[in-house]
Amino acid sequence: MTALKLENVNKSFGSVHVLKDINLTVEDGEFVVFVGPSGCGKSTLLRVIAGLEDATSGTVAIGGDVVNAVPPAKRGIAMVFQSYALYPHLSVKDNMGLGLKQEGKSNAVVDERVSKASAMLDLDNYLTRRPAELSGGQRQRVAIGRAIVRDPKLFLFDEPLSNLDAALRMNTRVEIAALHRTLSASMIYVTHDQIEAMTLADKIVVLRDGRVEQVGSPMELYNNPANQFVAGFLGSPSMNFLSQSVTGLENGTTLGIRPEHLRFDANGQISGQVTHVERLGGDTNLLVKTDADEVLTVRLFGQDPTEVGDDVRLSYENANAFFFDQNGQRALPRAA
Amino acid sequence: MATPSKSGFKWHIVVFLAPAVIVYTAVMIYPLFATLRLSFYSEVEQERIWVGLQNFATLFGDAIWSEQFWNALGNNAWFFLIHMLVQNPIGIALAAILSSPKLRFSAFYRSAIFIPTILSFVIVGFAWKLILSPIWGIAPDMLDAIGLKFLYQPWLGKEEYALTTLSLVSVWQFVGIPMMLIYAALLSIPDEILEAGECDGITGLSAFFKIKLPLILPSIGIISVLTFVANFNAFDLIYAAQGALAGPDFSTDILGTFMYRTFFGFQLQLGDPHMGSTIASAMFGIILIGVCIYLFGIQRRLRNYQF
Ligand SMILES: Nc1ncnc2c1ncn2[C@@H]1O[C@H](COP(=O)(O)OP(=O)(O)OP(=O)(O)O)[C@@H](O)[C@H]1O
Ligand SMILES: [Mg+2]
Repeated sequence: MTALKLENVNKSFGSVHVLKDINLTVEDGEFVVFVGPSGCGKSTLLRVIAGLEDATSGTVAIGGDVVNAVPPAKRGIAMVFQSYALYPHLSVKDNMGLGLKQEGKSNAVVDERVSKASAMLDLDNYLTRRPAELSGGQRQRVAIGRAIVRDPKLFLFDEPLSNLDAALRMNTRVEIAALHRTLSASMIYVTHDQIEAMTLADKIVVLRDGRVEQVGSPMELYNNPANQFVAGFLGSPSMNFLSQSVTGLENGTTLGIRPEHLRFDANGQISGQVTHVERLGGDTNLLVKTDADEVLTVRLFGQDPTEVGDDVRLSYENANAFFFDQNGQRALPRAA
Repeated sequence: MATPSKSGFKWHIVVFLAPAVIVYTAVMIYPLFATLRLSFYSEVEQERIWVGLQNFATLFGDAIWSEQFWNALGNNAWFFLIHMLVQNPIGIALAAILSSPKLRFSAFYRSAIFIPTILSFVIVGFAWKLILSPIWGIAPDMLDAIGLKFLYQPWLGKEEYALTTLSLVSVWQFVGIPMMLIYAALLSIPDEILEAGECDGITGLSAFFKIKLPLILPSIGIISVLTFVANFNAFDLIYAAQGALAGPDFSTDILGTFMYRTFFGFQLQLGDPHMGSTIASAMFGIILIGVCIYLFGIQRRLRNYQF
């Protein structure tokens, strides 16, 4: 069974066309991540799925039922907001239980589900506190707990970690992955952090300007991007695009090469000068200005003695090169 | 040593505070204490003499004075009760309706409801007197037009209705203030909290009672205490509509009109600044007690929520 199926979903705010013909399926138990630049419509798509916004056209089906006209609470979804959106006047316990009480569940059921969720999220010691008395990470866990107790068919997360500091973000990321394994629930997760996307996702959906650019597993997208946008969006440091520095490219064609696939080679066809060095300990990133005035990033593993101002020659394996036509679509490698 | 010493007296603080302190003292603190002081004196044979608490003894002990005082206080309490039971709930309800994003023309309604607040009491009192007048008023004709003429009473002229009627006129005039304060409080509730509620199935009326109302309780507290202070200081509307005798037969007499009559005199009654000040001091005490009960008893239990 499919957890979610979107067919030709469009959304306009007045004359602003935000989502354009979105088609998407989420299988049961799948972890799907939406990524894309700011303003591309990720949150809007999530809100359409949740029912907080109505789709202008197209159908939204959750668990096999078309839910276009169903209010959010009856869609079998639970949403975790970026700002946590906890009820400030209620204790942690009541925050988690309010939705169940509203559904008319008995106190015994509410207590049981809340204590199960709080045990899972390590919140047992905080049940009587109010949100104002919790740290950011604890609030985030309460927000996740509030979603868990509803036992939804589909979890929706809108940038849940973006208000947390780096260390906590990593911990919570691991917790969310663990949660996904224990609950084996379907989840949709919006982020613009590509590390979150790559590490959590079974399937990544790359959005741009309200359109789906590509859907696939993290490695599929990394190894086989459909176009220049996806190629440049995933991977850090991002892919280098060259149009002048290498010979033999057809007019308008761009060559894409990931920074880790470039290497020093005295006979390499790209020559340039190092303009900046970043030493990260495990890796060394070089910025190289080519003779054709394009800037490249080179990622070297381990530590490297190269200094700013050094002249270098670089080469790459043909198998690692990507070619894109004028419109940014993948092109076949030029016939030799 | 060129550096100014840290423990030195900070003259600039005094200089910056002085204008506000001087103005506030001149127009608020000095008159307050002068009034309190006046209530401990009396005039005997054109001479002002110290009588201690004698004036208060008269006000509460003398049958004629105390009857008037308790009548005014009782009327004032009723005046306040009507505001609390009618003005504030209606203000909250209007604010809740106005804050609904689906309502069209909400800016128009908001202004229309708020405008009476900026009208003068004299205009409001006079206008309502005309509207409700049995002779030239439009109220009887309007009720007649919808077949409810039998409901009409000369509301301002009957002892049993006059105070309630004037209270409702005051409610009509001031309902915009609680509405605006609550409206602002409702707008400050983040949308995401309400959307989280929507995902939990809490919409419509239950969203109001379970989420919005608890979050605006602090504003409701402030409104209650503002209403209390304004009502126990009220004077103008009654004076404009019914005159200083607060008729019929003192049935609309509140502390403000009682004090005015006593202090300045009216018709056959001679003005007595000392008894007037005594009443003013009593009003001050009542308001002080009320505000303290609010500050120490109620406000501490209300939480202010930071979003
Ligand atoms: N209520 C609205 N009315 C009009 N336009 C809106 C509304 N909500 C969103 N938009 C527009 O829709 C587009 C997509 O917004 P959305 O919030 O979905 O972006 P996003 O991908 O979540 O971005 P971010 O990563 O910054 O959160 C934006 O251009 C935004 O201006
Ligand atoms: Mg967003």
